[in-house]
Amino acid sequence: VAGGGIDVKAFAPGIYPRSEALVQATRDLERGRTTAEAVDEQFRRDTAELRRVQEEAGLDLLSDGLLRWQDIFRPLAEAAEGLAARPLTRFLDTNTFYRAVLVEGEPRLRRPLPAPDLPVGRWLATLPSPLAFSLAAQRAVPTQSLAANVLAPQIEGYADAGCALVVLSEPFLARSAAALPELLTGLAELPRPVPIALQLVFGDAGPLLGQLAEAPVDAIGVDFYATEIDAVVEGFPKELHAGVVDVRSSAVEDVREIREFADRVSARVANEVSIVPNGDLQFVPERIARRKLAVLGEARSPLKEAA
Amino acid sequence: MTEICFATREIGSLAKPPWRVKSFAGRPLEESDVAEAQRWGKRLEVDGHERLVELLRRGEFRSAELTEVDDWAARYAIALLERAGLDVVYDGEQRRTEMYDHVARHARGFEERGTVRSFDNKYYSKAAVVERPSVEGPQDVEEFRFVAENTDRRVKVPLTGAYTMVDWSYDEHYAREGALGGSAARRHEARRAFVQDVASNVIRPNVEGLVAAGADWIQIDEPAAATRPDEVALVVEGFNLATRGIEATKSMHICFSDYSALWPDVLELDDCLELQLEFANRDARDLGTRDEDRPGYVETLRLFREHGYPNVGLGVLDIHSDFVEPAELVRDRVLYAVDVLGDPERIQVNPDCGLRTRTWDVVYEKLANMVEGTRLAERVLNRAHAAPTMS
Repeated sequence: VAGGGIDVKAFAPGIYPRSEALVQATRDLERGRTTAEAVDEQFRRDTAELRRVQEEAGLDLLSDGLLRWQDIFRPLAEAAEGLAARPLTRFLDTNTFYRAVLVEGEPRLRRPLPAPDLPVGRWLATLPSPLAFSLAAQRAVPTQSLAANVLAPQIEGYADAGCALVVLSEPFLARSAAALPELLTGLAELPRPVPIALQLVFGDAGPLLGQLAEAPVDAIGVDFYATEIDAVVEGFPKELHAGVVDVRSSAVEDVREIREFADRVSARVANEVSIVPNGDLQFVPERIARRKLAVLGEARSPLKEAA
Repeated sequence: MTEICFATREIGSLAKPPWRVKSFAGRPLEESDVAEAQRWGKRLEVDGHERLVELLRRGEFRSAELTEVDDWAARYAIALLERAGLDVVYDGEQRRTEMYDHVARHARGFEERGTVRSFDNKYYSKAAVVERPSVEGPQDVEEFRFVAENTDRRVKVPLTGAYTMVDWSYDEHYAREGALGGSAARRHEARRAFVQDVASNVIRPNVEGLVAAGADWIQIDEPAAATRPDEVALVVEGFNLATRGIEATKSMHICFSDYSALWPDVLELDDCLELQLEFANRDARDLGTRDEDRPGYVETLRLFREHGYPNVGLGVLDIHSDFVEPAELVRDRVLYAVDVLGDPERIQVNPDCGLRTRTWDVVYEKLANMVEGTRLAERVLNRAHAAPTMS
């Protein structure tokens, strides 16, 4: 069992913010002041810079930051038969919107979305959880169908391309606990060629952790800015992804506080603990996000006492 | 029986004309920008617009000239809304940077932190609260006076609400300590104190100043109202603290949210005429007045009917699309709402939200059709009421 003296893993799933330069480039494109090629080039620069920042921070797994994804559902909705994206809908807990998923027929992924250009075995992918996907589609299609026909082939595609971890982002469950059986049914449809994590974003995971301990996933992500540590029962059996960097706060976390908190979590969990942001870093400006990544990396190792 | 007559209104923002944007940004104006000012000046019959054209042609913008440009942008926006036929107008928020930034820049206690994405390629500047917020005085009185002096229509002043200011800000003051692993009760108290301070010390002084200057309708914009369903009571508390006892019509605008989270808390809104909500964004575009024809309206209107308060500001224009709603589609949306609520007096008509993401050409067509469609609905309803009944 991990105590205070060992490394924990650290990584950052989810959508990463665009740099001020990319923000400006996309704005300029909409106003006809630049070209699509110039914006593409800025996307490439942002992606390369994000990789450099993660490597410099010492993160264990790399993410491409989903920089081209407009929201967590849209690329999948556009890549699947039977699905489309249209009405603008506000995400809970943020001033961010997604295009609700319109169901026009039996959903089926035409072909998996391309994998990011990252080293084999050293990158993670983020996808919506089957329940989140279904709720974004106003439950117009069963959760199992989205899981089996859209998410499953995408997970297989990522695994074939060298992905080391798939994180399923779940922003709704903490407020819709009654939907847990539906989520579990959806998760049961997913293959696990690589470890699968379910990350509960922006909500108190406490009341759900007991049942999620049995969920067919390898790890559970918990937002510890919305969940008290006592909610994690002693000996929690699954790997825990501890959301210890607050993506809704502009204040950059204190390394010591995070590390000490991670040690307290590790002491309660019978499996590994990793430290992660509690959601998408896109909710803070990029210059703050990169400082948070640095803190995350620094906190993965035991604290060194001052000489 | 009194004739049924719906008031048509805008919600808030319009796009800023390119000549306004460029002159403030210090970018050179092109002939096409000047031509645009000329075209709209003629089309909207803006008195003296030739002076604006001359000013733009000179191309020298010091402080006095920029003030003039701002005034012209407001005159043009008012004229656009008037010529489209609206009964209630404002200035399209031409003088404001953006609904959040406008307030955060004026108040003490906020510091800018950078840009975050709202959706697609749309972004907004976000600030952090670093000390208890306050203002030295009302912010929008001169803006209101200018509008009132330049229109004979009724004026509705849009103001960003306290809860939205809180929800869209980072908190480096109220929740600074002990956030990691902290209790829900502690988090709630921090949020509540923040809302109370913004409502009492930032928004209310503006409301008081505006009403003292003659404003008789204050619209509190709370697009974040249902962002956290367990905090709708804070939205209500913020509205009441900012407006309680103020002698004016008061209403609230909310958009792109799960409206089922609003009730029953909104029943505690103090003297709130209506909730102006977005509906068209989630509706079908075919004509018809049956439940299945109007999927964007059915569930939310049932909430209004079930709870009986407040009234509804019916969003009938999708502000994120260039699709120009035919007058007949607007008519059917209004008729459907009347059918569900059973009381036309509980309904007024507006776009889903501010129209700032659309061009003025599209906005004009949409608004003109909104007014025409509303008049069509009135005719249908008044004919029905006038017709002799058979029993």
